[in-house]
Amino acid sequence: MAGQSDPHLPMFTAPEVEFLAEDEIVEIIPNVRMGALHMICGDFGPFLPQIAVKVPLWLAVAMKKRGKCAIRPPGWLSVDNLTQVLEAERESPREFQALPFHYVEISRLLFDHARDDIPDIYMVRSLIEDIKGVRFHKVETGLETISGRTHAVKLKNLSAMEVNIVRPFLVRTLQAFYKHDSPQIVQPQGSLNSKRPQAADRGPRRDLRPR
Amino acid sequence: MANYYNIDDILMEEEPITSIFQVRANGVGLLDPGSESNCVEAGAKVDLPLWLAHELHLRQAVAIGVPPCFSQRTRKEVQADAACVDLRSRCPYFYELGCKIFPLVGDKSIGPFLLYTFTSRYKEILSKSHSAPVSTSPKYLPRLTQEETQLFKAAQWSIASFRKWRVGGSRLEKASILGRKRKPAAAQLPPAG
Amino acid sequence: MYGRTASQLLRELDIADSDNLQAFNSDTCDQVIAECENHHLMLQSLIRKLEGEQLDIQTARNEDHFGAVTHHLSLLRNKRCLMAYMYNRAEVIRSLRWKVGAKLPEEIQEKLSFSEKEYFKNHSAAIESSMSELDLDLTVDMVPPKDPYIQVRVLDDIGDNLSLGDHSFSLTKNSVHSVRRTDAEQYISQGLMEEFFA
Repeated sequence: MAGQSDPHLPMFTAPEVEFLAEDEIVEIIPNVRMGALHMICGDFGPFLPQIAVKVPLWLAVAMKKRGKCAIRPPGWLSVDNLTQVLEAERESPREFQALPFHYVEISRLLFDHARDDIPDIYMVRSLIEDIKGVRFHKVETGLETISGRTHAVKLKNLSAMEVNIVRPFLVRTLQAFYKHDSPQIVQPQGSLNSKRPQAADRGPRRDLRPR
Repeated sequence: MANYYNIDDILMEEEPITSIFQVRANGVGLLDPGSESNCVEAGAKVDLPLWLAHELHLRQAVAIGVPPCFSQRTRKEVQADAACVDLRSRCPYFYELGCKIFPLVGDKSIGPFLLYTFTSRYKEILSKSHSAPVSTSPKYLPRLTQEETQLFKAAQWSIASFRKWRVGGSRLEKASILGRKRKPAAAQLPPAG
Repeated sequence: MYGRTASQLLRELDIADSDNLQAFNSDTCDQVIAECENHHLMLQSLIRKLEGEQLDIQTARNEDHFGAVTHHLSLLRNKRCLMAYMYNRAEVIRSLRWKVGAKLPEEIQEKLSFSEKEYFKNHSAAIESSMSELDLDLTVDMVPPKDPYIQVRVLDDIGDNLSLGDHSFSLTKNSVHSVRRTDAEQYISQGLMEEFFA
């Protein structure tokens, strides 16, 4: 349920974003024999020892906690790949590198519950932290350039958690700019009560108010 | 957007506006402390709350002046160093009042002034709200208007909520509305593990 | 100044943020209502005066008209403030059912007026009946759940031999139990238990 904490802000809490991330599919190596599971979201299994199988992250974590499987870390969660991503993040101050939409949540869940399955976990963890830091700094610098002339903000490759953090601030800011930069206020035309339609200049803007 | 039940809208309309009565009004002596009979004479200068000044202005019963927070002096201060000006003490509803008042007083320069003020102050709020430690109440917070404070709090809240999630721990909590009476006792026991 | 007292009610709401509830301010409400009665009397007497002078109330624009308008506007203003005070409190009161549960602790009860208590009871009953029709407790799992069972530490003596789900527990202060999450949630939100991590 979105916006629990403040009904006036359209937003998810961090645990809610994590909940969404738990539907991402990962690969596990079971160490037990178990029949297939029939869930509302689909069928998973059957589970055979040492045979890799794809399941949602929540199921992987639940089985891992009970010692019934090892989780195979996703390909992007390796020292090699993350080192490259970090370098690329640092080299392009305006762009975000392509990472899974839920990389923040997935990496945290795996660090918490499957540390023994991730090679070089300390290195991986610190790379993720660095990448997060660089990216967030970029978001902030990006937000500084917002002005009344901002029609839309394009944030390609921004991840779910990153969007979620800036959403309350960004939405309010754009609302304020929208209000203060509306043509009626900045260039009042003729008589203030004139019924002249003022749509011309508003073209590409969208009303960002919550419904 | 005006909303009948909105607390900020209502409080904003409580801002005093210097008004000069163009007509005589009977039975409202309370409005003018200088009046000896129970009425206000034409030409009397009184501070009316915006909600009353606005409506009487529409009926051409009063002429209203530009509030001091949009005076030339304030504008100069904002132009010199926008982020440092204490707008809250001048008018906590600076932007909202500005939007409402400028069509009434016919001062077209207020609109661009509002935009200029917000644009120059916004960056300060942006950088400070996302990086400041959550527990401290920063000393520039009292300088911010209502709208700016809400912007600051929105950012601070989402950062705090993210940090809490990253640290982990209990997800189920006591309803915050119940106060924190038991918290100190619980805090003394170090969390196990 | 007209309407000043009424705006104090909203300032009170403004200072206490949405996470806080202050005692219902019946004194100030009564003052505002008395003010409204005064405005009403003044309005009536000014209108009668206009009528007495054989003037058309719709078109007359004399000093009595502007006096009457001012009292009329003040009435509307006071009404708006009172309505907003009730409305915004009602919003908080409705949320209590989801945050605290059907039974409110004393510290909250004493802050509500009589009609607010009734309102809460009725609202709570409406939710209750809707949930029993659905056969689903909508108030649990407000935070996305992880495990069906959790460990809790009891923070206050709740009672001996309390049945939670299928088992009965002796919920004494500082004891630790493994219980169904959905059974523990209401105790945690009431501050009687906390999640325990071994």
